[in-house]
This record gives sequence, structure tokens and C-alpha cells, in this order.
Amino acid sequence: MKISIDWLKDFIDVELSTSRLIDTLNSIGMLIDSWEEQKGDIILELETYSNRPDTLGHIGVARELAVALDLPLKEQEWPLTEVDENSSENIDIEIFDDDLCPRYCGIVVKDVNVGPSPEWLARKIEAMGLSHINNVVDVSNYVLFATAQPIHMFDISKLSGKKIIVRKAKKGEAFRSLEGEDINLSPDMLVIADEQKPVALAGVIGGENSAVTETTRDILIESAHFNPVSVRKTGKKTGIQTDASYRFERGSDISFPPKAALMAASLLTQFGGKATKGIVDIYPKSRKNKTVMLRQRRVSEILGVDIRSDFIVETLSKLEFILEKKQQGVWQVQVPFFRIDIEREADLVEEIARFYGYENIPSVFPPLTAMEPPPDPKKRQIQKCRQALFHYGFDEVVNYSFADPENEEKLQSGRKAIAIRNPISTKASLLKTTLLEGLLENIAWNQNRGADGIHIFEVGKIYFWEDDACSEQMSLGMATAGYLGMNSWQEPPIQTNFFHLKGVCEAILSLLRYESVVFLAGKHPSLEKESALSILLKGKKIGCIGAVRRDICSSFSIREPVWAAELDLNGIFQKQPRPFEYIPVIKYPKVVRDISFIADRKISYQEIKQTLEELSIPNLERFELYDRFTGVSIPKEKVSLSFRFLYHHPQRTLLAEEVDGFQEKIIKTLSSKFGFQLREGGEN
Amino acid sequence: MSGLKEKIEKLQERFDEAIEGITDEKALQEVRNLYLSRSRGSVSSLFGELKSLKPEEKPDAGKEINALKEYVQDKLQALQIQLSGPRAVEEMVDLTLPGEASYIGSPHPILIIQQEIENIFLSMGFSVEEGPEIETDYYNFEALNFPPHHPARDDWDTLYINDDFLLRTHTSPVQIRVMEKRKPPIRIITPGKVFRKESPDPTHLPMFYQVEGLVVDRGITFAHLKGTLESFLKILFHEKTKVRFRPSFFPFTEPSAEVDIGCTVCNREDSACRVCGGGGWIELLGSGMVDPQVLKNVNIDPEEYSGFAFGLGIDRAAMFLYQIPDLRYFYENDLRFIRQFLQK
Ligand SMILES: [Zn+2]
Repeated sequence: MKISIDWLKDFIDVELSTSRLIDTLNSIGMLIDSWEEQKGDIILELETYSNRPDTLGHIGVARELAVALDLPLKEQEWPLTEVDENSSENIDIEIFDDDLCPRYCGIVVKDVNVGPSPEWLARKIEAMGLSHINNVVDVSNYVLFATAQPIHMFDISKLSGKKIIVRKAKKGEAFRSLEGEDINLSPDMLVIADEQKPVALAGVIGGENSAVTETTRDILIESAHFNPVSVRKTGKKTGIQTDASYRFERGSDISFPPKAALMAASLLTQFGGKATKGIVDIYPKSRKNKTVMLRQRRVSEILGVDIRSDFIVETLSKLEFILEKKQQGVWQVQVPFFRIDIEREADLVEEIARFYGYENIPSVFPPLTAMEPPPDPKKRQIQKCRQALFHYGFDEVVNYSFADPENEEKLQSGRKAIAIRNPISTKASLLKTTLLEGLLENIAWNQNRGADGIHIFEVGKIYFWEDDACSEQMSLGMATAGYLGMNSWQEPPIQTNFFHLKGVCEAILSLLRYESVVFLAGKHPSLEKESALSILLKGKKIGCIGAVRRDICSSFSIREPVWAAELDLNGIFQKQPRPFEYIPVIKYPKVVRDISFIADRKISYQEIKQTLEELSIPNLERFELYDRFTGVSIPKEKVSLSFRFLYHHPQRTLLAEEVDGFQEKIIKTLSSKFGFQLREGGEN
Repeated sequence: MSGLKEKIEKLQERFDEAIEGITDEKALQEVRNLYLSRSRGSVSSLFGELKSLKPEEKPDAGKEINALKEYVQDKLQALQIQLSGPRAVEEMVDLTLPGEASYIGSPHPILIIQQEIENIFLSMGFSVEEGPEIETDYYNFEALNFPPHHPARDDWDTLYINDDFLLRTHTSPVQIRVMEKRKPPIRIITPGKVFRKESPDPTHLPMFYQVEGLVVDRGITFAHLKGTLESFLKILFHEKTKVRFRPSFFPFTEPSAEVDIGCTVCNREDSACRVCGGGGWIELLGSGMVDPQVLKNVNIDPEEYSGFAFGLGIDRAAMFLYQIPDLRYFYENDLRFIRQFLQK
């Protein structure tokens, strides 16, 4: 809120430079965001906290400053010009719901000359960033910004009868605010009513039907205390927030309404008004001050520095707490009504710390008394994936978790998207069920900015409904488009392709020791039909890879082919990886044998691989496909495949005859199962 | 056997002819393939012929083939050195031509900073804990001492899924979850994505990264909070960084402190500084002693244990570390932006 230094000087004789004043306020937790000079005054922008409504007025700020600077707070006099009538002859206040309105004060001021405000008042209202309306409205605002107690003024001639009733609204009751807005009242809202109709929405806004205008003469001043939760709910429901509701919903000082009423009445008498005698003060359940036990030992224990008891007593007393010593270093502390935030010992410790000065508390490193658990192995697994991806030239991206429903519709992940009830925009109203949306957007963005090779990945969560539960799944998304690597004068540039991305996936899964994954032809709604594989681990689908559908690419304005893969990291980590074990390096020579086959094109590598693995040939360390070609020398529906087999025995040199036997078995199996033919000269 | 010997001699002659007059590495590679390729090389295929020999002939024949293989290898190696050696500078290739560049992927800057922060805290004996991003009102607010219908909730503009679930507005729920599971001593940081109902602008984002921390043990004090955070900030920024603690308010800590660092751009000397707005300080962390009510909510006795907690926006820290004027840059994923951090 805005704080005028001139206004502060009504309450405290502060003679500091602006910067010293700002530093002092900061040091006690009153942060000044900015400040500006305005007609010779300095206006500070004070950041206020929701638990300190007492600082939402100048007196509250002055009170804090007085303690920090050890200055006295000036008392103000509020003299009245009175008529010879009692207030109670003019008004009869009745509270129907003292939970929602624990206290209501009223006083009537007659014969007020409504008109422009005097210079001193106008200046203060302007300083608060408000435009002045008339002297009566300005007085309400003056009291609010001086004391943080909102007050309301009724034109008493517009009220039916003498009765002021504080009650809940009736269903369907009509109410138009003084801003001219029609509000639907509901029975949970508290209203101020006369004998016939609501005249104000309690603590929120007054009604048009009772508002003070240029012709008003007699005024009823309302100064009350309303239940914070009730005011907040009403404000939320009606969408109205006013300076008054802002203060009431944070909690106002229940002891203050009579003083605020007096202050307002006194000011109105400056404009010819005459106040009725006595304030009508309805306060059915008078409250006692809260008390809190405070132990000096505890203060030192929490702050980590010895705080003397005279400092504690002095500071809290200046803050208007009343301390009663119970024993050495133990006090019963009575909390002033305006400090709604103080409820426990810890709250008092903070008060002491604020004025002791945070900068005077030492800095100490906390002793380590026990070990923390070791890092989650999953975290390291993810780091390994990332490192491998950097190695393969993939850049890391991070996208918002929000998804555009149109894109979700296009990508059809098959997962049921979670919607946000109050999204920042419709284009961000779902949570992503696939990382692909972000990756495609990133490719488009970078392509439009001249990038000709975009290889990116993201590790992040996707979200979806699983039965009635929100499920979060850690996912790894990868996408690749355009040229690979850097330009070289030695080699021509090459384009990325499916097998580049597949190689990356295989490398990652192998680094994590999930070599047992299986790639099978599979369908995926966002991938081209003839270019999509499902990735399975122990029978469970853990991902997919393929070419992103051309129509999807073009809908993201991507002009070249994109290959993408998505791995479900949760699904992967749920399965045990192959345990890592050290295998001694074999000293005996390796035997290498190559075989070339003419094979039917329909037989997939995955099938051949699986068949070879199932043979469980002893001493076959590994095999690799090192050549594949088609051409004139090969029939159309066939393909030449060259495999290399590497054999090793840990304890001795393998005999050629042994290896011959293994090779024979391989050739026999592949021939009988798939009809492979040995190529001429295809074995050695 | 004699037939094989002849073959070996012939092959060696042919090889000697072939390497004569080789002047470039490409031709050299061709010869290498022709003779040594594992699958089709002439020398390699000689080994295949061993099979047809009598067992007693095999060892000698093997030796001869190996001798030829070594001869070929030696010659080729010598030639290669010759071709790519200093002689080439004068006659053939400009060795100052650029070397082969390879494209190394770059981590995302936010995750680089997150990693740095994690490393600092790991060295201080903290562990790293994570938790769900979709949370319940209880973990996000109530357990953290936000009463229902309290205006304090307005400062944490929340995106809701429904009445039961919301997107966490801070990673504090992870602290609650850890305290429910484990008894003190606890010394953790909780990094992760958090969400707010804010439209993106240069200083606000609807999603950003946060690191929070929590220490709970017997005898933990505000002095420990100061000691820990000062050390952390001096490592993350600079050992001469000025650190200021000032009173603040958070529902889940009491006393609470906002932590500012002295502006590293103007060194608190430029009243028109763009970064700190002339105030000389940059607000970076929220912190405080864990509110006794929060400890009670997880069945930790606040009379026996005390603790401190803190929270830091990683995006915001990165913004100040690198003078990035607009937080949205982090989520545009422009590779020209991201790839600069490869060298970080
Ligand atoms: Zn600066």
C-alpha cells in the first residue's frame, strides 16, 4: 500500500532521509518496493503481508517505526461538536448473526455540508492514489488509510426507519452497489439492512440506495468488525474487492471501531456537522486479549543467540504487548487486539528477532548429526541418458507442462488428458499427455530461425487420468530433423534418419542395461504407418519410435521429415535392469567368422536376432550385421545379409573345429527356419 | 603346402607393386581394404585356406601367413605416416585446416543451474527429494499452515484440476511428504517444477523451477539458517556477494526471512540500475524457521525439534546469474539461446 511520509509525520516525528527511512522499514520487515516524490511529499510503495492488516494504515506503520527508532507515538485529539440528542434516539442497531459481525458501532452526524474537501484532506487522498469525490467520502478514506479500520457512511434520510439490522441476505433479495452494479445476494452473505431492504454488503461495499450524495445532510457512520472468512467468501463470490474488504478479510482490530467512528464524526463536524451524543456500540460477546506464554530460553534456542530479558521486555512493551512475569525468564504476554497475527510463542520470537535485527544474529553452519539417505538410483539413470544424448548431439529442451487441446487431439496419445479448471488460456488448458507437442513446437520455432539440423530431447512428466487418479509419468522424448553433425570440409553433410534415432534409443537402453528390449512393428496415431515401431521391455510397451505423420508436421509448420521417439521412464525403471557385473578380460584370441546369406526381405532383423539369441551358442560373445545390400546380382524379393560372429573362450583358445560346429548350427537354423541361402563364397 | 607358400610370395609381390606410387590416403585405404579387410581382404582369406592343410602343416603355414600380414601392416603404417607427416605440409595438405568438429548437445540452462545448486547442497550433507506435481490442497496448503479461505492463498495463485487436486505452487509439499515418512534429522532439498496462475511476461511464468530446502534436527536455529544460506549464495554467485536477511511473512515459517543479494550488476552503486531498480538488492530467497504448527502437522514435536526451510526460484537465479532480461526465453527453447550454455 501507499505510505505518505507527510502523513506518517502526523503520528511520529521522524526526521530521517528517505533512504535511511526505507532501510529502517526494510530491517523490520516492511519492504518498500519503490518510492516517488509527489508535491513535496514522498510516497512509499509498501509491500504488505496478509497476516499484518494492522500495517494497512499509517498509524500501524508509524507504530512499528516508533519502536525501531525509539520515538514516541503522537496522540491525536478528536473533538466533537454535538447536538443535544442521543445517538440511540436516532438509530437502533441489531445484530442477528454475531459470528459474522461481532461488533457494530454507529454514530449520527447531522447537517453536514457535503462539498469539496479542504486542501489538507484532498492532499492525503491524492497521496493514496485516489481521486477525491467529496468531503464525506474522503473522510471515510482518510480514516481507512490512517487507521486500517474501514468505515461506511449512510445517508440516513434514505433509510426506512431507525433500525439498522445486521443479518444474512435473503434468497433473491435485490441489491445494487454504489458503483451501480446489481449483485445477486445469497443467504450466506452478510448484509446491513434497514427495516425494508439491504443497504450495504457488509464489509464489502455500500448500496446505491443509501449512498451519500451532494444533497445529503444527515449521515450515519458505520464502524464495525466483520468475520474475515465471511467477507472473503462474499468478496470472492461477488467478484468485488474494495479497500474495505481487503482489510476486513485479513482481520481488523476489534477494539477499534468506536475510536474510528469518533474520528470520522470529529472530521465531519469540521464541515458543519453536529454529532449525536454517544456511540451506539453493539458488541454482544466482548472479547478478551489473547495471551501467550513466552520463555526467554526458547527465544535464544530458536534464534541461536542469547537475547537478554530486558531487551525482550522493552521491545514487546513498546509494541504494546503487556508482559506479566511468571518466573525467571518466563512471561505471560497479553497481545494487543490489532495484532491478529500473534498466537504462539514462535510469533513473539519473530517480533523479538525483527527488532533485535536479523543482521545481528550470527551465521553458523548447522552440525551434521546423521547421514542422509544415498541418492535415488533413478536420478543417476536419468543423468546417464542425458549424457548419452548430449554425446549424440541432442540439445535439451524444457517445455511448459500445459497442452493445447487442438494439439492433443492431433497427436492422439491415447491417454486421457487432465484438464485445468482455471487455465491461463484455452491454449494451455490441458496437461501434456505426450512430450511430442513441445518437441514439434521447438522444431518449428528453430527451423523458422534458420536451424537446419535440430536434434532435441526432453526429460519431463506427462500427465493423464488413470481410472479416477491423476497419474504422472516421467518420460523421455526425442526428435530429430535435418542435417546431422557439424559441417566438415572432409565429408559431405548427412541427413538424420530413422536408424540414427533408433541407434540413440538402443544406446540409451544399453547404457541402462536394458539390452533385452524388443522393437516390433507397431501402430501409433502420430507416426507414419509404415514407419513406426513399438518398443517393448519384458513384454510391456515402454515406448515408440518412428516418423512423425506428415500432416501433423505441416500443422506445426514443419517442412521436413521429423523422426521422434518417446520412452516411458517410469515403465522402464519398474523393470530390473540386467545386474552390472565385471567380466574378466579374456586373454585368449578371439575367433571371428563371417557369413553372408541371401535372405527373404520379409524376414525382419528382429526375428533373426531373436532366433540367433535363442540358439544360446556357447562362447558366442556377440554377432553383428555388418553389411546389407540389394541389387542386380540379387533377386528382387531378396536381400544379402552379412553377419559377423565373434567367439571367445574364457579359459583357452577355441579350436577351429568347435567354431565350425557353431557356425554350422547357425547356418542350418537360419536356412531351415527362414530359407536363407549361403551366398557363394559367403563363409569364411 | 608348397602351393600356399607360392601364393604368399605372389601376394607379397603384388602388394609391393600396389603400394608403389601411392600418393594419397584414399588410395592407401583402398589397398588396405584389398589386402587386410577382415571379410574380403586377400591376406585375411589366406587364413581360410589353412583348413585344407594337413594338421602338421598348419602351424608353419599359419606363421608364414602371419609374417605376410605383419609385413603388409608395417608397410602400410609406414606409408600412412609418410603421407600424413610433416612432408604433407609442404607438398600436400594444409594441416592448419580445421579439425573435425563434432556436435555436442547442450543441457538446458535451468537444469545446469539446478545441478549446480544440487551439488552445493550435496556437499553440505543434504539429500535430494522429489515428489508429485499434481498435489492435494492438504499438502500444498493446509499442512503448510494456510488456513482455508485465508488471503495468504492469494499470493500463491493456483491452477486447479478440481476441488481435490491442484498443480503444486511450490515444492513444499515434498517437505511435508518427507517429514511424514522420516524422523529427524532431516536435511533435504526439493527441486522441481511448480505452477502458478500467471500469464507469461518477462518476470512471471505459469511454470518454473524451484529448489526448496529443509533442515530439521534438535537445536536448529535461525543462525544455522543464515549460515547455510550465506554459504550457498556465496558459492552460487561469488564469494564477495553481499547477503541480506530481512523479516518477511510466510504461513509455514516463523520467524520468516526474505534473503536478498547485493546487486552484482551495479554493485549497489547505480540508482538507475536496470537489474535491481536502483535499490541495490535483489530478492532471491524466501526462508524461515519451520512453523511449529507445520511440525505438529507431521507429528514432529516442536519442543524437541526445530528446523529451517527456504525456497528459491531457479529461473530467477539464472536470470540474475546471466543477466537474462526475460524469463520466457527459458521456455522458448531457441537453440541459439540454449546452446550458449554448453560452455557453462
Ligand atoms: Zn543494481
